[in-house]
Amino acid sequence: MDDRELIARVRAGDPAAERALYDAHVDRVYRLSYRMAGDDDLARDFTQETFIRAFEKLDTFRGEAAFSTWLHSIATSVALNGLRKVKRFRKREADLEEADGVPGGAPRAEPDLKRRLAQAIDGLPEGYRTVFLLHDVEGYTHEEIGAALDIETGTSKAQLSRARAKLRDALADFAGEWIR
Amino acid sequence: MNDRRDEELQRLARDYHRPPETPRDEMWTRIQAERARRRDAVKVVRLAPWLRWSAAAAAVLVIGVAIGRLTAGHPGTTPGTTPARDADVAYRVAAAPYLTRTEALLTSFRAQSRTGRVDADYAVQAQDLLVTTRLMLNSPAARDPRLASLLQDLEVMLVQIAQLRAEGDTRGDVELINHGLEQRSVMLRLRAASPAPGINARGAL
Repeated sequence: MDDRELIARVRAGDPAAERALYDAHVDRVYRLSYRMAGDDDLARDFTQETFIRAFEKLDTFRGEAAFSTWLHSIATSVALNGLRKVKRFRKREADLEEADGVPGGAPRAEPDLKRRLAQAIDGLPEGYRTVFLLHDVEGYTHEEIGAALDIETGTSKAQLSRARAKLRDALADFAGEWIR
Repeated sequence: MNDRRDEELQRLARDYHRPPETPRDEMWTRIQAERARRRDAVKVVRLAPWLRWSAAAAAVLVIGVAIGRLTAGHPGTTPGTTPARDADVAYRVAAAPYLTRTEALLTSFRAQSRTGRVDADYAVQAQDLLVTTRLMLNSPAARDPRLASLLQDLEVMLVQIAQLRAEGDTRGDVELINHGLEQRSVMLRLRAASPAPGINARGAL
């Protein structure tokens, strides 16, 4: 049964269809949430909230785009808003620590390649990071990314290119080591 | 050269925040529970556009009065010129930043608690939020049973966090708090009560 039929059955009040629709899409939504959050609790919260909102607003889904596109636009919105809140709070904490003269963070060790990459991805501007994760890590097309983030396909491509350039720069110290 | 590097970048990045297996049944159970809770809850107040401006204006007045009561110590002062129903709405609007801040604190607390270390700052922040929680519980906002129930749960959670000792083994206490957050679906209810900017905020007020 495809998404269109499942949605019709959900709208008619069929709980089994709701579960089937959830099962068909939850893996990708959870993966996306986890990639963005890097935290299981946050990923679960974001995934749950995404489906709650999707079911609440299913009547507004007009079927002009694929259901997965619509769902992933909710997922990215939920995750980005959730992460902004967490980031704001953590920044306030860091500011407090700084004001108290308490050194923040773990002692710096010489990072290995993957750790350096992870730090570089974390440090990307939000738009670059999101596009990089969606495209290069999760395999979304630029069309899907454009629809999910409500940006032009060309913008998605440009942001990906800039994200990769920044990451290449961040790994410049490892030149020769990470190219096989 | 860049093409090869980009391919390698992609290969390496696959290990970035590599997701575990999807906890689909567990999440489905919680989604169903939360949806049932929202269905049973009092319907969200929907206001005509003109009333939204009134509510916003009333919120400013109410916050001002609340600050005045806190700082000047005039317990008898009330927003007497505001009709009761508008005041209810205004308190709900005023609750939004409080709920957002509480959500951020609990989310961050839960994330950090898994590292086995909880900063003393959390206790201070929780103490601060407790004052507002009590004000909210004593305000007309608590006439909404859904919000009142959430505020009561938040008060319990915040008291527990505020009482965490700065030193010594707090793992048992932290587990208890996290268990309470899970069991009462506090995070989901918080997010429902405090819509983020964007899709679900439309029509919330």
